[in-house]
Amino acid sequence: MLEVREVLKSYDGRAVVNRVTFEVTPGEIFALLGPNGAGKTTLIRMITDILRPDSGTIRLDGRAIPERARNEIAYLPEERGLYRRPKAVETLAYYGELKGLSARRARESAQALLERVELSEWAMKPIQSLSKGMQQKVQLCTALIGDPRLLILDEPFTGLDPLNVQMFEELLTERRAAGATVLLSTHQMNKVEQLCDRALMINHGHMVLYGTVRDIRRRYSDHAVTLRTSSTLGTVPGVKSIVANNGEATLLLDSGTTPQSVLRALLDRNVDVESFALASLPLEDIFVKVVREGLGLDHGQSEAPTEHRTAEPALVGGGGR
Amino acid sequence: MRISWPRIATVARREFLTTVRRKAFVFTVIGTPAYFAFVMWISSAGELKERSEVLRELSTVGVVDSSGLFRDAPMEFRTEVSAESNNMFAKRAPEGLVPATLFQTKIRPFDDFASGETALRAREISQLVVIPANYLESGRVRRYARTSSLFSSADKRAVASWLANGLVRGRVDSLLAARVSRPAELEQLFTLGKDGSFELKDNRREMLDFMVPFMFAMLLGVSIVLGGQYLLQGVAEEKESRILESLLCTVSPEELMAGKLFGLGAAGLLVVAIWAGVGATVVGPILLLAGVKLPAGLLLIALGYFLLGYLFYGSIMTGIGAVTGNMREAQQFSVWFTFLNFAPFIMITFLLGRPNAPLAVALSMFPPTAPGAMMLRLTAPSSAVPPWQIAASLALLAAAAWAALMASARIFRIGLLLYGKTPNLPEIIRWARQG
Repeated sequence: MLEVREVLKSYDGRAVVNRVTFEVTPGEIFALLGPNGAGKTTLIRMITDILRPDSGTIRLDGRAIPERARNEIAYLPEERGLYRRPKAVETLAYYGELKGLSARRARESAQALLERVELSEWAMKPIQSLSKGMQQKVQLCTALIGDPRLLILDEPFTGLDPLNVQMFEELLTERRAAGATVLLSTHQMNKVEQLCDRALMINHGHMVLYGTVRDIRRRYSDHAVTLRTSSTLGTVPGVKSIVANNGEATLLLDSGTTPQSVLRALLDRNVDVESFALASLPLEDIFVKVVREGLGLDHGQSEAPTEHRTAEPALVGGGGR
Repeated sequence: MRISWPRIATVARREFLTTVRRKAFVFTVIGTPAYFAFVMWISSAGELKERSEVLRELSTVGVVDSSGLFRDAPMEFRTEVSAESNNMFAKRAPEGLVPATLFQTKIRPFDDFASGETALRAREISQLVVIPANYLESGRVRRYARTSSLFSSADKRAVASWLANGLVRGRVDSLLAARVSRPAELEQLFTLGKDGSFELKDNRREMLDFMVPFMFAMLLGVSIVLGGQYLLQGVAEEKESRILESLLCTVSPEELMAGKLFGLGAAGLLVVAIWAGVGATVVGPILLLAGVKLPAGLLLIALGYFLLGYLFYGSIMTGIGAVTGNMREAQQFSVWFTFLNFAPFIMITFLLGRPNAPLAVALSMFPPTAPGAMMLRLTAPSSAVPPWQIAASLALLAAAAWAALMASARIFRIGLLLYGKTPNLPEIIRWARQG
C-alpha cells in the first residue's frame, strides 16, 4: 500500500532522513520507532506531502503521493491543536469536507464519530469549553473522519486516561477490520507489542531495525528460557546459570543446548513446571539497547532492506547484538 | 502542482464565515465609520464654536487713538458668522436654512494706555487696541488681550475690518467705506479646466468632488489593510495553536493560502460594501442634489487597485504570519507594510496639490504605494493623469502581486512548520527562491 524507497532529506547539508526504505502492507498496524530527533516527524511529513524529499520516492498504491494522498491519508501529529471557537461538530465537519465529503455527509459523519467517542452531548459546544481530554478525543476524530485508508498517528495516546486509551485501541481495531492501514509512531513500547504487526526503527535518520515485532524481540533475546515453578532448582545440564526472582527463574543456556533438552531434563527430575517459555527482551529494552549502543548506524554506508517482510529483523550496518 | 478548487472553496467559506461572525468584525463595520464621523464632526463643530466664542468675548474693544485718524470711526461693528462656511453641503441648501449668527462689538475710546490697561485688567473691555501717532506711516498697531485663541483669528480679522472702515469713514460714501473694509467679499475665481476653458472655481463643490472619491480611496486602503490583517491574524493564530500540521495533510499549503486569500478578501470587500451601501443611503440624496457624480471609470480603476493591492499585501501578510512565531511578533513586522499602504495619505497635500510632479508619478508606480497614490492623483482637482500611467501602474502592481504570491506560497510551505525560531532575512529570501 505505502512504499517508501531510498528517501533522503537534508537540512544544511545534514541528512535527517537518510535513504530510508520500507513498505506498509494493507490492513496492518505498522510501528515507526526512534528516539527524539531521529527523523520520524520529517519522514511522516514527507509521507503526508507536507515536505518534499530531496531524493527517493514515496508511493501510495503505486502512485505518487500528491495525486492520491489528500483524501486517503489522515495524520494526527504529536503537536496538535484545534480551532478554539467553533463547535465540536463544525470542526469535525470542516475536516470532513476537506477530505471530499459533502457538507451534509461531513456533518453526519462528525455526529456519528462524536457519538462513537461518547461526546455527542458536547457536539454543539465550542471547542474551548471542552476539557483537555475531550479535545484530545475530538483531535483523534479529525483523523478518523472521511474513513481514510492510511492513518498516520503520532503519539495518539498522549493525554488519554486508561479508559479512553482502551476506547481508542478499539477504534483502531475497528478501522483495521474495515480495511484501513495504520502507521503508528509512539514511545509506548507496550502499545507497539500489543497492537503492531511490524516495526521500523530509525536513529539519526538511518534505518536501524525493520521487521515483525515478534522477530525483533526474538532476535534480541538472550539464549535463555523462563520457567515458573514451585520446586527448588538444583543444577540443570546445559544451563550456565539460573536467576530466580519471585517464583520465576531465567535459565541461561550453554551454546549447544536447546530449550527442548532443558525442558526434558527438568521433567525427568520431576520439577513441577507451571510455565516454560523462550525468554525475550521487552521491546523497550531493545529500543534502549539499540539507541544507547548505536547499533545499526553505519554513517551513511547502509544498505536498506528491500524485502518488506523479513524472517529476521534487518539490522543495518552489521551492528549486531 | 494540482490544485483542488473544492478544497479551496471549503477553506474560503470557513475563513469568511468565521471572520464575519466575530464580534470584532461587527465592531469594525460599525465602529470605524462612527469613529471617523465623530472625529470629523468634533473638528468641524469645534472650529465653528471656537470662532463664535472668540467673537462673543469680543463685546467691547478699547481704543487708544494717538493718530487721530479714527475720530469718526463707528462706535460699534457687527461680525457675521455662518455655519455655511464650515458645512460643505450648506451651499446647496435653500437660502436661510443655515442661519447666520451676528456678533456685536462696541468701541470704547481711552485717552491713554494706562486707563485702557486698567479697564482691560478689570474686565471692563475685552481687548485694547493702541494706535500710535505714526500709524499712517508705520502701519503698526498694538493689541492687548487677556488670552489668545490658538485656533481662531476671528478677533484679529474683525478689528482689522473696523480699522479699514474707520480710516475711510467720513472721507468717502458709506458704500465705499463698507467695500474698503471687505474688498473681496464675493470674489469669483475662474481656473483653467480639463477641457481647456476657464471654469468658475467652486471650493465647496470641489471639496465634495474630492471628498467622495477620496473617502472611497480611503475605504479601499482600509479594506486592503483589513483583509491583510485578517490573514495575518488567522495564519499566526493557526500556527501558534498548532492546527496547521494536521490540516496540511489534507489540504496543500497552496490551497490553504488561496482559500484564505479568497475568504478573507471577501470579508474585506463585504466591509467596503456595507460602508459604501450605508454611505450611499445616508448621503446619496445630498450628493445627488449637489450634482456630484462618481465616474464609473474611476470605480472600475478603484476596483482594480483593490484586487491587486489586496493580493499584494495579503500575500505579504500571509508570509509574515507563516514565518513569525506568534501574533505579537507578526504585528511588529506587518506594521511597516501597513505604513507603506497609507504613506500616500500622509502626503495628501503634496499629491493633491501637485498630482503630476515626478514624485507623485513615482509613488503611483511603486507597487506598495500605488493604490493610495494613484487614487489620490485621480481625485485631485487639477489632475490629468495620462491613461498610460494608470495602465503602467496597474501592470507593475499586478507583477508585484504575482511575485509576492509566488514567494509567499514558498515561504508559507516552509515557515508554517517552523516553530520556536523566527528566520532571518537571508533565510526568508532563500526560502522564497527555493521553495
